[in-house]
Amino acid sequence: MIRALLADDEWAARAKLALWLSEQGDIDVVAQCEDGIVAAEAISRHAPEVAFLDIQMPGLTGLEVAAQLEQGEAPLLVFVTAYDAHAIRAFELNAIDYLLKPFDKDRLLLTLARVRGRIRDRAAAASAVATARAQTHSSERLLVPDGGQLQLIETATIEWIEADDNYVHVHTLSRTYLLRRTLQDLLSQLGERQFARIHKSAAVNLTAIRALAPLFKGDHEVQLGSGKTVRLSRRYKDALFARMQR
Amino acid sequence: MAAISSEAAADPLAGGLTLEAGAIRRSDGLLYALWGLFWVLLIVIAARDYFHGGGQQLWKPLFWEGSSAVFSTLLLVLQRTAGRRSYNRWLGEPMKWFGHHLKWLPVCALGFVVVVYGVRHGVYALLGQTYRHEPWAFVIGYESLKLSLFIGLWLGVIFSFDSFAHWRAQQQHLLALQRALAESRLAALSSQLRPHFFFNALNTISALMHLDVARANRLLTRLGELLRASLQPQGKDLVPLAEELRLLELYTQIMLERFADRVTIEWRIDHALLTRGVPAMLMQPLVENAFKHAVERGRQRVHIEIAAVRDGGNLVLSVRNTGSSLPPDFHEGVGMRNCRERLQVLYGEAATAWLNGSATGVEAVLVLPCREHSP
Repeated sequence: MIRALLADDEWAARAKLALWLSEQGDIDVVAQCEDGIVAAEAISRHAPEVAFLDIQMPGLTGLEVAAQLEQGEAPLLVFVTAYDAHAIRAFELNAIDYLLKPFDKDRLLLTLARVRGRIRDRAAAASAVATARAQTHSSERLLVPDGGQLQLIETATIEWIEADDNYVHVHTLSRTYLLRRTLQDLLSQLGERQFARIHKSAAVNLTAIRALAPLFKGDHEVQLGSGKTVRLSRRYKDALFARMQR
Repeated sequence: MAAISSEAAADPLAGGLTLEAGAIRRSDGLLYALWGLFWVLLIVIAARDYFHGGGQQLWKPLFWEGSSAVFSTLLLVLQRTAGRRSYNRWLGEPMKWFGHHLKWLPVCALGFVVVVYGVRHGVYALLGQTYRHEPWAFVIGYESLKLSLFIGLWLGVIFSFDSFAHWRAQQQHLLALQRALAESRLAALSSQLRPHFFFNALNTISALMHLDVARANRLLTRLGELLRASLQPQGKDLVPLAEELRLLELYTQIMLERFADRVTIEWRIDHALLTRGVPAMLMQPLVENAFKHAVERGRQRVHIEIAAVRDGGNLVLSVRNTGSSLPPDFHEGVGMRNCRERLQVLYGEAATAWLNGSATGVEAVLVLPCREHSP
């Protein structure tokens, strides 16, 4: 069975898609979501193999949901939209498929044939996430778990990020969030401009750096605005110094 | 359409006057140059006559004509400042324009004789000579006649200068108005219903067909009506408020089918106003904005209030919604801008449009003259 998730803010649209998907026999609709935040939550909870995302949704648009996904764990993404020439052009190149509203069953079958052909195709899922990131302001806002819920924080408020096995701790001035993401993928979402890696398992917001203090043997310590200090390893030192002098 | 453009042309003439002032000032240089040339010519002729008559003292004709020139220039400056300020509103009615100027003729003639002859007598006396001229009765009659002819001639010149500038300014204003009218009509047409709206509505119908045929049919009918109304020829700019509200109702009914559990709509309409004329589909973009920014993006239930009330001689149309706010770096969107431009073209300064953002929501308000709709 292919585990599918669908997200659309209109119940009728969800009902039609769910009806046609369940008729297929090999597709299990694991979740139906009515807005973007719920969809992001459900994707991380159910880890579906394919997600049908409406682009225009409250909370987060379908594109924004996609932009916040970990590239390595994203489902195949099928975008569903009424009229959004800009996004469509981008996804003609990179998404597994996109459906233009209204669509008929034949068109959906074509999409499903593509989905079946590329199920567990990591590269296809990752390239859709990358396109969505480029289409949205995904480097400015980050979706983080807060209690049982997800919420968006401004990435400018992040001071530093610490990797911990399959998780990352995202430290803001006021609190810390634990995300199931890799540091590398998170940095690729946040972009090179604002954050710099200073250690195999740490990255800092460049604007949060107060001072660089030398330790012995060429190692340095990065002092952050909050008073926290993080070790700068020799491997990343030259790159960071070069960026700080810019 | 013809009625509209003539109304639009007549109304904002007040705005045209500022434009006109600049145009007139540019032409003043030419007027003064002409004036200077005219007086140089007069002085040369006077000097030549004086020599031909056997005169020997060159300063005399220069002084006679010079004193006249100084006084006349004073009159011209007076006309270009105070006279123009007070009387140029009658440029469209030449009889009144000339009348208002000519009523000062006796004062000017008397002033001329007293001042110019006074100066001449004074200067001659200072030089130990006597200024001889015809008896005073003759002088007053002769100078008055000469001055009348002179002032008449120059008023004609000034009038043609000013009325040409006025005409040109009006022409430019009219052109600008016509261009704005054409642009706003085009923009209004394209902004009336976004393609997004149609495709989403079609999708809802396509989904409802599998779930609830009666509802799908109802929605399709509403969409058909709305489409028919929006495809009607754009010849008539004004429609009765009742018709405008009927289209809004169709639109909101379709949106309610899609977002039933996420929005409530309240109508606050003064029924005495239903026959008043409003620009067709004026409020459409505002209601569309409320759906786009609050209902479609927000996660809470949204309340939209659509109101048409009277405030003195004005009709106040407003669309208020909860669940959205104006960001600090807010820029007015196409919808609101089109509304304002259409109002400007149709009513000039008499209409206004603005957006109010607060913690609880956003309010778009349009104020326009409350006039009975005449088909």
